[in-house]
Amino acid sequence: MRPQMLTTVLRAAARPTLAATRVAPALTRPASGHAQETFEQFTDRYVSFFQNAEDLFEVQRGLNNCFAHDLVPAPTVIEAAVRAARRVNDYSTAVRIFEGIKEKVENKQQYQAYLDELKGLRQELGISIKEELYGSS
Amino acid sequence: MQAALRIARSSARPLRATTVRCLATAASPAHAAAASASTTTARKHSVIPLSNVEAQWQTMAQEDKAIVHEQLEELQKKDWKDLSLDEKKAAYYVAFGPHGPRAPISPPGTTLKIFLSTMGLVGAAGVLMLAIRQFAPPPPKTISREWEEASNQRAIEQKMNPITGITSEGYSGKGFVVSK
Repeated sequence: MRPQMLTTVLRAAARPTLAATRVAPALTRPASGHAQETFEQFTDRYVSFFQNAEDLFEVQRGLNNCFAHDLVPAPTVIEAAVRAARRVNDYSTAVRIFEGIKEKVENKQQYQAYLDELKGLRQELGISIKEELYGSS
Repeated sequence: MQAALRIARSSARPLRATTVRCLATAASPAHAAAASASTTTARKHSVIPLSNVEAQWQTMAQEDKAIVHEQLEELQKKDWKDLSLDEKKAAYYVAFGPHGPRAPISPPGTTLKIFLSTMGLVGAAGVLMLAIRQFAPPPPKTISREWEEASNQRAIEQKMNPITGITSEGYSGKGFVVSK
């Protein structure tokens, strides 16, 4: 009787307690929760990227990334990108940015809205869009 | 890593102006670099008119392309409002025109050519079919309205298929008649 009791007690002591083993790691993230970037955060990120871009390669890399998303970049992003193109002295990239908008928007009205919105910038820097260079297309 | 990259970048700065330009504009940088090394003296004398770059670009020598790149690079440092339309077009064409990796896969008119040749093949197949049918034997004599009606008469004479068929009560089908 006594040895039996002793073994039960010992076994219970040797068994690892659940509370002790189940310690959640300090740095954890639920598997279902992804970091979601809002449109405003995206805009801010790319505006600051283009403002800090130092050379043509970086500007073009940023443009590639920026236009790769399923959205049309906000006019502020476009303005920052065009100014970055001006800073690195590449006219063709500035023209290409407007061509990229034309690809990304859904219809001609949206493209026209972008052109109207950025008209001041185009006149300030003297950028002709591709349609102006090559006639209508 | 970042810091190392920055250092590498800043040390590469003097080269950058030409190499980056070439990277961005899809002229092969190795060639351009070689050309710029060999023709440093020639470049000072030759100025290539930018008005006709688009037409000449495909046949232009590598050295000339490098010269055009340099010209455009200098040009684009100016105020862009001062650029003429030809200069703007040349800058755009050299950087993003339809040459090199952006050359169209099929020349214009290919779609029409493919459509017409497909139609031609279909037409040739039709002609071939008609030609073969010219040599075919005539259809069998039993496939004719007359023969089939005679078959019906014969079937009624023989009281053929009296439960569900041609001689059954209230039969309204066509019997053996299949041809129009």
